Amino acid sequence: MRRGALTASLAVLALAMVAPFVIVALNAVKSKRDYTANGPFSLPEGLSLEAVADFWTRVDFGEKLFNSALISGSVAVLAVLLSVLNAYAIGIGRVRGRMWVLVVFLAANTLPQEALVYPLYYLAKATGLYDTRLAVIIIFTVIQSAFGTYLLSAVLGQFPREILDAAHIDGAGRFRALWSVVVPISRPTLSVLMIFFFIWTWNEFFLPLIFLVSNDNQTVPVVLGLLQGEKMMDATMSSAAALLGIVPAVAFFLIFQRTLTRGVTVGAIK
Amino acid sequence: MRRLALAVAATLVLTACGATAEAPSPQEAKTLTLWHYEGPDSAMAKAWAEAIKKFEATHPGVKVKFEEKGFEAMQKTASQVLNSDAAPDLTEYNKGNATAGALAKAGLLTDLSAEAAERGWDKLLTGSLQTTARYDERGIMGSGNWYGVPNYGEFVMVYYNKKLFEKAGLEVPTTFEEFTKVMDAFVAKDQTPLAMGGAEYPAQQVFYQLALSKAQRPWVNAYQLYQGRTDFKGPELTYAAQTMADWVKKGYISKDAAGLKAQDMGDAFMAGKFPMMVSGSWWYGTVQSTVKDFEWGTFLWPGSRMAPGSSGNLWVVPERAKNKELAYDFIDITMSKEIQNLLGNSGGIPVAADTSAITDPKSKELIENFGRLAGQDGLAFYPDWPAPGYYDVLVAGVQELINATKTPQQVLDELAGPYNDNLADVGD
Repeated sequence: MRRGALTASLAVLALAMVAPFVIVALNAVKSKRDYTANGPFSLPEGLSLEAVADFWTRVDFGEKLFNSALISGSVAVLAVLLSVLNAYAIGIGRVRGRMWVLVVFLAANTLPQEALVYPLYYLAKATGLYDTRLAVIIIFTVIQSAFGTYLLSAVLGQFPREILDAAHIDGAGRFRALWSVVVPISRPTLSVLMIFFFIWTWNEFFLPLIFLVSNDNQTVPVVLGLLQGEKMMDATMSSAAALLGIVPAVAFFLIFQRTLTRGVTVGAIK
Repeated sequence: MRRLALAVAATLVLTACGATAEAPSPQEAKTLTLWHYEGPDSAMAKAWAEAIKKFEATHPGVKVKFEEKGFEAMQKTASQVLNSDAAPDLTEYNKGNATAGALAKAGLLTDLSAEAAERGWDKLLTGSLQTTARYDERGIMGSGNWYGVPNYGEFVMVYYNKKLFEKAGLEVPTTFEEFTKVMDAFVAKDQTPLAMGGAEYPAQQVFYQLALSKAQRPWVNAYQLYQGRTDFKGPELTYAAQTMADWVKKGYISKDAAGLKAQDMGDAFMAGKFPMMVSGSWWYGTVQSTVKDFEWGTFLWPGSRMAPGSSGNLWVVPERAKNKELAYDFIDITMSKEIQNLLGNSGGIPVAADTSAITDPKSKELIENFGRLAGQDGLAFYPDWPAPGYYDVLVAGVQELINATKTPQQVLDELAGPYNDNLADVGD
C-alpha cells in the first residue's frame, strides 16, 4: 500500500517534470497554422519538421553547437585542472591562510554575474579579448574553478595521510604524488565535476550574451534568444529552438549518467 | 585519461585562439557589417535583403556581412557593443528616448544631420516621422541632430473579420457612433466584439487611442515631448479611463482579457473567435500569412484624427563604425524608390514609396491609411514612451480598469505619479 502511494507520487512528480518538455516537443513539430488554430496544448495534426529545419539553417545551428562544445569542453577540462591544483595546495598542502582563501572563493561564488559584467567587459576590451570565445573560456574557467576549488579542498582535506606518506617514502615528489596518487584516487569526483562544469557552462546565457557579439562566436543558449521579438513571438519556431537547445545537454547527461551516479555514490575516498 | 584530457584542453584552447586571430581586419578587407533584428519573413527583412544585393552590385569589391540579431539581445548589449571595436558599421535600433535617445546622449551614435540634408532624407521623412529620428543633447526626441533614419512606419488600426461582419449584417463603421453600434450589435448576439490582451501592450494602446480621439496635437506634444504639462485629470485621459471601464461593463471587452497576452489576442482573432482586434501594423504580415478561413480587412479608428503610431525602428551608425561612408550609402539605398516599393509590396509600410507601384490591393489600403494618418499629422507615438518603465505602470493601470478593481479616477492618479516623477528627472 505504502509502496503504491510512493510510486504514485513519484509518477506525478515525474509527470510534472516532463510535462514542459513534452509541450515544447509537441509545439516544435506543429505547423504554424495548426498552432494558431488549436493552441499550444493540442496534439499536432501532423508531423512538421519545418520549424526545426528553418531554425537550424537560419542561425547556422551546427556552428553554434561547435562553439558551445568548444567553450564548455575547454572550460570543463581547464577548470577541473585548476581546481585540482588549487585544492591540492589547500586541502593537502594545507597552505597558510587556507581558511581565508576558501572564504574568498566562496564569496566569489555568491557574486551575481550581473555584478561582474562591467569589470569583465572593460578587462576584455583592454586585452583585446572582447567578442572572442577565449574570453568566455577564461571567465568560466575561473568561475567554475572557484566552486571546484571549494568542493575539492573539502574532499582532499579528508585524503588519507598514510597513502601520501607511503608515496613520499617511495620517493615521490609533490607533483608525482599529485598526478600518480591523488588524481587517480579522486577520479570519480573529478569526472563528476567535469561533467557538471560542462553542463553548467553549456547552459550559461548572460555572460556569453555580453561577450560573444559576432554571430560566428555565439553559443546555443545565446542564439535561442534570437527569436524573442519586440512585439510578437513565433511560438512554433521558439519551441523548435528550445528543443534543439536542450537536446545536446540531455544527450550529454544520458551518456555520462553512469559516471555521474557512480561518482556521487562513491562520495568519499576509500 | 589525463593525458588525453590535457591534449583535448590544449587543442580546444588553440582552436579558440586560432579562430579569433583570423578575424579580418577592417582596413584591408572592405566589408560593411550590418545588423538587424527583423524576422526573415517580415517585409523589412525582405526589402533589406534586396538592398544588400543592390549595395553589392553598386559597390564592387565591398562585401556585406549581415548578421541577424535578437531584439532582446540588442536591447541588453547595445551600449557595450557599440562602445567597442566589435561595433557594426550599421545597425537597426529601437526608436525612442529610452533607446536610441539614450545611445545618442552617451555619444555612441554618429550625427547624421549633414548626410540627411545632403542626401535628402529630411525631405522624404516629414512631420511625426522625423520626430523619432532626431534627438537633442538630453536624448529627447523631436529636435536636435539626426541620429537615425527610419525606413518604414507603423500605426494602430482596427482589424476586422469580414465573415463575422457579414453574418451579423453589419457594415464597416465610419463614425464613432457607428463603431459603438456595431459593438452593441455583436454584444446582443453574445459575441464579444474586441479581441484584447490586457497583460501586454494592446489594452494600453486602446486606452491611449481613446484619449487621442478627444485630443489635439499640443496634448500629444505635452505628453510625449514634455512641451507643456499633461493633466491626468484633464478631459482626454478622464474620457479614456471612463470609456474603457464602460466598455468592459457593456461587454465590448471581455473581463478575462486582463490576463491575456498580445499573442493570445492575435491568435484568437486569427482563429476567427472575435470580429475585431485593435492593434498595430506589425500584425499585418502575420495575419496575412496565417488567416485562410475568412476574409479580413482593416480600418482606421473611427472618429479620430490621431492614432498610436510612429516611424519604425531606425538605422543608426555607431560612432565607432569603421566604414561610415558605406553605411550612409546603404541607408540611401534603403530609402530608394525600388527598395521602398518592395517593402510596400511585402506587407510593410514604406515611408518613401511610389503608391502607384504598390500592386497588392490590401497593402495599398494599408499604406493609404498610413499616408492619411501621417498626412494629417496623426502619428501620436505610444503611451509608454514618456518615462522609463512606464509600460508596466500602464499595464497595471489598464488591468485594474478591466478588472474594475479601481475606479477610473484612482487609475489616473496611479498613472500620473510615475509620469510626473520622471518629468522631474528629464535630461539628467
